[in-house]
Amino acid sequence: MTGVWFLDVPENRPIVDVVAQDPTVRVTRVGPYFGVESDGAIVIDRRSTGVRHAVWYSCVAGLSVSRITQWDKDALRVEAR
Amino acid sequence: MTDLTGRHLVRGVDHAAFPTFDPAGTVTFYRDVLGLPVVHSICAAGWGPEDHPDFIHFFFDIGNGDRIAFFYYFGLERPERLDRGDSFAQFGSDVPEYFVRSRHLALHVDSEEALLEYRRRLDASSWPVEMQLQHETIESIYTHDPNGYFFEITRALRPVTPQEDLDANLTIDALVDIVSRPGHTLDDLLARKAELIVERAGAWQEQQDAVRQNITQPSGVHA
Repeated sequence: MTGVWFLDVPENRPIVDVVAQDPTVRVTRVGPYFGVESDGAIVIDRRSTGVRHAVWYSCVAGLSVSRITQWDKDALRVEAR
Repeated sequence: MTDLTGRHLVRGVDHAAFPTFDPAGTVTFYRDVLGLPVVHSICAAGWGPEDHPDFIHFFFDIGNGDRIAFFYYFGLERPERLDRGDSFAQFGSDVPEYFVRSRHLALHVDSEEALLEYRRRLDASSWPVEMQLQHETIESIYTHDPNGYFFEITRALRPVTPQEDLDANLTIDALVDIVSRPGHTLDDLLARKAELIVERAGAWQEQQDAVRQNITQPSGVHA
């Protein structure tokens, strides 16, 4: 199981909206956080989100038994630890 | 008598003080270019120990009654400058630029118009804006003052939301929890923070909702 958390603020919404379209992920909610879960890797294409540099590189709030294996100008990739 | 135990009592910056070897340039930058009024100064003949030089301690208003202050010491020679740094601290070329710039003062403005007005003033001076950047939730302009101090003026792109205060607290609690581990990384912090989110974010939301409900549905006030 892969799990990554995002705080619900306007700047992060495009990121969550993009990942929510992936049929392999489930988006849950705990308080003001979106929890994104998947049985496999979670991959978010940066350009699809349209967010600026500072937002992209500060969007992750937490990692549940997962690790980031890519976080660059192209994509954020989270995999099971 | 009011019990002050545990209360948040401080009210902003009284003054933040810096040494200067260029008082004329400092006055030009802060008073004449930025338009910050001179609000206080002290002319002092030494201070305590015999080797303390005479000095001028002068203050500019940075809004809300807060002040930036400078010390000019008569006869004190500027330390030999290394590659980079300011009138207080010098750094060799081995020190990364992000570290040199990490200590800085940022003044707040309320609007984009105000930010751009300060940009206009700086761009017309000897200290033009070096960068204008939109960060996560703020937009800032940057330059270096005549003393080499890294100087920022910033505006909020939107008001801070309550959940950002929660998030900040979870981040800091996670940082304190992991910082004693040898070789700790951002990965350690994000793993610990996920645990704190699961533990605390749901209860925080319930508390927020209850407060909101009490505000919108006051009970027992109106018949």
